[in-house]
Amino acid sequence: MLWVDKYRPKTLDNIIVHQHIAQNLKKLVTEQDCPHLLFYGPPGSGKKTLIMALLRQMFGPTAEKVKVENKTWKVDAGSRTLDIELTTLSSTNHVELNPSDAGFQDRYIVQEIIKEMAKNRPIDTKGKKGFKVLVLNEVDKLSREAQHSLRRTMEKYSAYCRLILCCNSSSKVTEAIRSRCLNVRINAPTEEEIVKVLELIGKKEGLQLPSGFAALIAEKSNRSLRRAILSFETCRVQQYPFTSKQVISSMDWEEYVAEIASDIMKEQSPKRLFQVRGKLYELLVNCIPPEIILKRLLYELLKKLDAELKHEVCHWAAYYEHRMRLGQKAIFHIEAFVAKFMSIYKSFLIATFG
Amino acid sequence: MGKMNNLVVLSSDDEENERSLSSNRSYSKPKSRSLITRSNPNPRGAKKARISNSRSRLSKESSNVNEIGLLFDDFDEVFNGFKVSAGKRERVSGFGGSNANGLWVDKYKPRSLEELAVHKKKVEEVKAWFEERLRSSKDEFGPYVLVITGQAGVGKSATIHVIASHLGARVCEWNTPTPVIWQEHLHNSSAGITYTSKLDEFEIFVERIRKYGLIPSSSAKEPKSSKILLIDDLPMTNGKVAFGRLKKCLHLLVRSTQIPTAILLTDYGEADSADQTARCSEELKLYLESAGACKVAFNPITNNSIKKTLSRICRQERFNVTAEQIDLIANASGGDIRNAITSLQFCCLKPDPLRSLSLCDTTTTYLREKSDEISALDGEFSLKFGRDETLSLFHALGKFLHNKRETENAMALMDQDEFLLRDKFSRLPLKMDAPEKVLCQAHGQARPIADFLHENVLDFLCEEAIDDAWTMASYLSDADMLLATFRGMLTRYNEAENVLQTAAASVAVRGVLFGNSHPSPSRWHAIRRPKLWQVEQSSLCNKTEIVKRRFVGYSGLTLSDLSVVTTEYTPMLKWLGYGTSGGLETHQDLMQDNKTENNFDKMNLDDQQEIETTDDEIEDW
Repeated sequence: MLWVDKYRPKTLDNIIVHQHIAQNLKKLVTEQDCPHLLFYGPPGSGKKTLIMALLRQMFGPTAEKVKVENKTWKVDAGSRTLDIELTTLSSTNHVELNPSDAGFQDRYIVQEIIKEMAKNRPIDTKGKKGFKVLVLNEVDKLSREAQHSLRRTMEKYSAYCRLILCCNSSSKVTEAIRSRCLNVRINAPTEEEIVKVLELIGKKEGLQLPSGFAALIAEKSNRSLRRAILSFETCRVQQYPFTSKQVISSMDWEEYVAEIASDIMKEQSPKRLFQVRGKLYELLVNCIPPEIILKRLLYELLKKLDAELKHEVCHWAAYYEHRMRLGQKAIFHIEAFVAKFMSIYKSFLIATFG
Repeated sequence: MGKMNNLVVLSSDDEENERSLSSNRSYSKPKSRSLITRSNPNPRGAKKARISNSRSRLSKESSNVNEIGLLFDDFDEVFNGFKVSAGKRERVSGFGGSNANGLWVDKYKPRSLEELAVHKKKVEEVKAWFEERLRSSKDEFGPYVLVITGQAGVGKSATIHVIASHLGARVCEWNTPTPVIWQEHLHNSSAGITYTSKLDEFEIFVERIRKYGLIPSSSAKEPKSSKILLIDDLPMTNGKVAFGRLKKCLHLLVRSTQIPTAILLTDYGEADSADQTARCSEELKLYLESAGACKVAFNPITNNSIKKTLSRICRQERFNVTAEQIDLIANASGGDIRNAITSLQFCCLKPDPLRSLSLCDTTTTYLREKSDEISALDGEFSLKFGRDETLSLFHALGKFLHNKRETENAMALMDQDEFLLRDKFSRLPLKMDAPEKVLCQAHGQARPIADFLHENVLDFLCEEAIDDAWTMASYLSDADMLLATFRGMLTRYNEAENVLQTAAASVAVRGVLFGNSHPSPSRWHAIRRPKLWQVEQSSLCNKTEIVKRRFVGYSGLTLSDLSVVTTEYTPMLKWLGYGTSGGLETHQDLMQDNKTENNFDKMNLDDQQEIETTDDEIEDW
């Protein structure tokens, strides 16, 4: 078992990083009926951990007896019936799913499947009707239409079920949904908090941590706790005992992006642009999200860039990132950014060095 | 119904009276005919038999299918009846001042082998095939099916008919019945006629042919062997299942028929090959061949043959049409003789065709104020007679990518312009039609056009021109944004979608033309198929793989986000040496495969054959 899972706090009481939120959630569930919830925050901040602990708080250990179901749903969409395949994870009291997996058919998932599940209320031992919890992941990736139908579902079935929504950015969730939920923002843990967690894990694993080593990992982790724990474990495999100057290896795709960045810096020509496109394709084939590629690429480029260009380059990165969201094929926009960067950088080089 | 029958009688009366007309009409082939036994040496007999058949339709016991077919015949008769009367009126009023009655296409249908405009060798080939099959006793030769392909109007069916009459054989023809429209269906079903799909009808027909051969008609006096089955038009199929049925059906036909059968398949130009039916016909052709059918491909008819035929018609009609005009018509027809003859007839309708044409030209040239009068004249002529010119997608792409411009800027033109552009933004005039027009001719759809341009455009840039690369990339990104706007809402915003498509294509093409201000020196470039499509495919594959692995984290208690799995768990697990199914390496293998595949798909602008195959693939992706 990975350390991330092994040392994941199982109950709200055990949570260290967002202790305050955890206690509030506990009070909320024990004292009264809980409202719909929307958890949002950067990756690796502990949203899922909180949700799981919350479910356990609500339903006891049965919440952890989950089964995976891969089911094909027949959805009646006006003139024709659609077959939508979707993987769900369910216990007796809750169902978890990723509606955005259905792509542009996510609307039907939200309308039909959630409705279907909301109808089947569980009955507890005392014969009292309980309510079901639906956990929806990546709500920010849902299409606008799907979000609108989600809103209706939330109102119509609020007597039978509670929704727990989880996403990275609340700005991509419609106002209507946000106002119907209790919004819980989960901040990225600070580096000190990460260090604390890492040291705790080190102690439990019986490892010797040289001073500053945990801080090094925390710094590299970009304030993502999951990232930190994962690279901690990798370091353990790579080299033990730790040294304080140990190289924290980054992810392979990040190295690849760095390679692309240095390619771009070395030569600015259509030919090079074409080569860069090939490398970007490689990343896209491996399903690295294009937004993350662009962000990382900008980060790598900025590292090597003259200060006076930074502002302009950031502007164009933001510009093309926005268009990428509006557009359909990410490569068009990433490439436009790369071309723009090359063009800026080349004229800069000519101006400076002649 | 009674009314209808009356009309039928009327039309047949016409036939009795006007001999010339009836001979015309018996040559014409109404499209809705289901199965007609037609004997060429004596067309009228067969015709009469059929009409009497339709008269006694109600009393006669026949199968449902036949009934429907005959019903259509009735419709057809009515239609023809109208046509005839219209023709009569025209003649009375003396319109056109000629003894032209009916369409020349029918009137001058070839009656002998000499009159055929098709190349001698092809005719000979087909004739030899039929002779062999007709003469020999059974089982001596292989399959009894001949597939004739060729674009529209190259004389496929005419050849069969002429050869049949030459050999003294009777042609039995299957034409796909006209589709039943909804209102008609409602009407029929209230009358108790059940609907059968056209494919079903065809299947039944083939079944019957296979089992019993052709049903001998009442007027059959020829030896039994001299019959030819002509399948002119295969039923439309929609979807894989129906197509599969058609294929199976044809396979059985090829394997077991004992009658010499000719199947005519119309080729569509590569410009139309985005069309579903065209792809099907391509596939069918290959399939039939693999099933053992003989194949003869008819080429477009040569200009000389068309000219010969046209001047023959002119002589017979006693029209003075200049050789120049015939030349133009022949050129514009693109090897389609039916089109050429109709154009000729149209041209001859006018009292003085030449003068009116030139008049027309001067007005338009006046309006356009074009200096280049000769080219304008040419353009007008070709528009008048010809079918619209079509370009292949790759031809159009080549035009856009090579970005040919005039070398000298016509300063005179610039002066007339209202505003002057900065040097940075002005470009030399294009050496082609407006990009939108080229797009239109190429039947280009915005998405593939944008993808192809994106894939190939960098090859056409000069080494130093990174600014240009950015301009083009930026325009392409604009186009992509336009294309994405109504994604997934196609049905509701159909109109808007169309406008957007056009706009996006225009932005992409013009952006590429404008941006490429320093084209690389002209040399041979292969146009590649967008790699993006493969990338999308394999990334979709990988995504489904990854979806299965999303239980990696959280010890399977909850689902992880896809981005987290790809960016964090997968690389990490690889580091840790966990046996994950498919790390980066396997995906790279996938890319390698695609690369090799790509090499096969490299296309040449001049190579039509390859272009066709890739065109097909555009649809597949």
